[in-house]
Amino acid sequence: MQAIDLELASLIKPVSDTVRVSALHALAYCPRLFYLEEVEELYTQDAAVFAGRRLHAEIEKQEDEEWEELFLESEELGLRGRLDALRTRDGQTIPYEHKRGRAHRDENKQPQAWESDRLQILAYAFLLESALGITVKEGRIRYHADNVLIHVPLDDSGRAAVREAIEQARILRQSTHRPPVTDNERLCARCSLAPVCLPEEARLAHNKEWQPIRLFPEDDERQVIHILEPGTSVGRTGEQIKIARRNQPVEKVPARQVGQLVLHSFSQISTQALHFCADQGIGVHFISGGGRYLGSFDSRQGSIQRRIRQYAALSSPDTCLELARKLVVCRGQGQRKFLMRGTRGKAGGEEALRKVITQMKAVLKQVPQAKSLESLLGLEGNLAALYFGALPCLISKEVATELHFNGRNRRPPLDRFNAMLGFGYALLLKDVMNAILTVGLEPALGFYHQPRSQASPLALDLLEIFRVPLVDMTVMASVNRGQWDTKADFEIRGEQVWLSETGRRKFVEVYERRKQESWKHPVTGYSLTYRRLFELEVRLLEKEWMGEAGLFGQLILR
Amino acid sequence: MAEYKNCYLICYDIRDPKRWRKAYNLLQGYGERIQYSIFRSWLSMRSREKLRWELEKILAPEDSLLLIRLSHQCVASIPAYNRPGVWSSQEEAYRIV
Repeated sequence: MQAIDLELASLIKPVSDTVRVSALHALAYCPRLFYLEEVEELYTQDAAVFAGRRLHAEIEKQEDEEWEELFLESEELGLRGRLDALRTRDGQTIPYEHKRGRAHRDENKQPQAWESDRLQILAYAFLLESALGITVKEGRIRYHADNVLIHVPLDDSGRAAVREAIEQARILRQSTHRPPVTDNERLCARCSLAPVCLPEEARLAHNKEWQPIRLFPEDDERQVIHILEPGTSVGRTGEQIKIARRNQPVEKVPARQVGQLVLHSFSQISTQALHFCADQGIGVHFISGGGRYLGSFDSRQGSIQRRIRQYAALSSPDTCLELARKLVVCRGQGQRKFLMRGTRGKAGGEEALRKVITQMKAVLKQVPQAKSLESLLGLEGNLAALYFGALPCLISKEVATELHFNGRNRRPPLDRFNAMLGFGYALLLKDVMNAILTVGLEPALGFYHQPRSQASPLALDLLEIFRVPLVDMTVMASVNRGQWDTKADFEIRGEQVWLSETGRRKFVEVYERRKQESWKHPVTGYSLTYRRLFELEVRLLEKEWMGEAGLFGQLILR
Repeated sequence: MAEYKNCYLICYDIRDPKRWRKAYNLLQGYGERIQYSIFRSWLSMRSREKLRWELEKILAPEDSLLLIRLSHQCVASIPAYNRPGVWSSQEEAYRIV
């Protein structure tokens, strides 16, 4: 009987999930920030966050016995948090908060607490009262930039504000809809999550007159490391990545400067190194010796809400068709404009090339009217056939005949040009996959390519918009510049043509240099490197089913 | 809000072998040692503040730490007035091994 009673008692007890006080601070600052952090589990730390932590580390060394650090939780109130408290001589306990920035100034230029900071310190004070059963009269906030100490008294209206915020936090946590971008755009400039939230881009999506300020970083700050030689071992030593080649001195790379490790052919990586890469957010990708993308090490955490919304959106045939139309238009326009570049600078231009350009224009006009994915595939096939049929016209007359090509072929490539295209698409697929994993979407569910046993449909979808600017143009330019040695850079095996090791090394360099180039996004209007563009396009795609559509797939050459 | 990188010299004098070992290992993860107690690292504002925070957790008040930011112009002219081989050029965004 007693056991049954205990079970019933635990069943009847309501589930009360406590809210972190710092989450209330985020909620008071911006509900969308709260949602991204608490529900979508996205945490990005910028310079200000680390500077704040350093300030706390410095203050800890100066504190004496009067200070207490407490971790408190109150189920009755629904709060938990870690706080610093000052115990005064007359027995009062005062919660204390250090802020690195400057205080808010009211109409009389008197220092005041910012609203979000005020709610935070009130929550700490209320938590102290509730958890310890004592009376707390006030909290204090020190703003270190202008060395101001603000006293915030705790009264009944303060307690009510905290309770209301907790209730709002609970409601938001149950919601599956991301709150809209805040109206106060100055909050976004200082927010650490701006590169993830993309508020300026969302404002542009809703208001075409909006001039977006860049909050999305222009360039990825970390290196991509390509391990090309078979038998090379990648390991970890301390905070460094260790690369050991046969009969070569060991090389060490500072790990904080590495963004991706790409293991080609039969290089090895240790388990310790994989653990380290997962912990540091370093992408690990594998490409075969023949230049085929094999897979990536997936160390995503959280983000399940994003994938749930992706599943919901891409289960709709209409949504898939709409996105697929954008994709085909984007790729087809890119192909056509690339061919049009070939007619510049030529007296009169080639007649065959002009004819293809005109035909492609006619096919492109039919794409927005396509009624099914099947007819879209047909139109895309037409565009591809026209494009690859005309592409040889762009090869300069001075180029060796071995480097010319006659139509697209693969598995295996039958000429040098196709070998380069294939390897380039594999490198590109790796970068697109890295961006998808970074953003937290599901690569296995796309909107144009259907799920298969091997390739990732979403990565193949997004690949389409990058093929021309990053691979086709790069290969064509390098061929016309005479960069390739037709003998040393390629291996011929019967009918098959592959890049040799020197060829792959050369190709990686050409490709990575292209990614470093800056480019002005035609819609947002700010410039960024192609390398960074991968992540931006994936984030804009995610906005297509989050009510901020209209910016994805606009990546078209001038 | 573009995150440009600058070259930083990180100079330290740490008066305890245990703390020195911790700080040394951390700095090896950020850049390369170019003199006995001087590291060179290419840092954005974000990674600089993260490094400062991580070092602050390791160091004690008696230890010395100095970060010096060099503009791109300063960096470009360093080989002109130094011994050969003292300064290698800026790392590319990729590395082929």
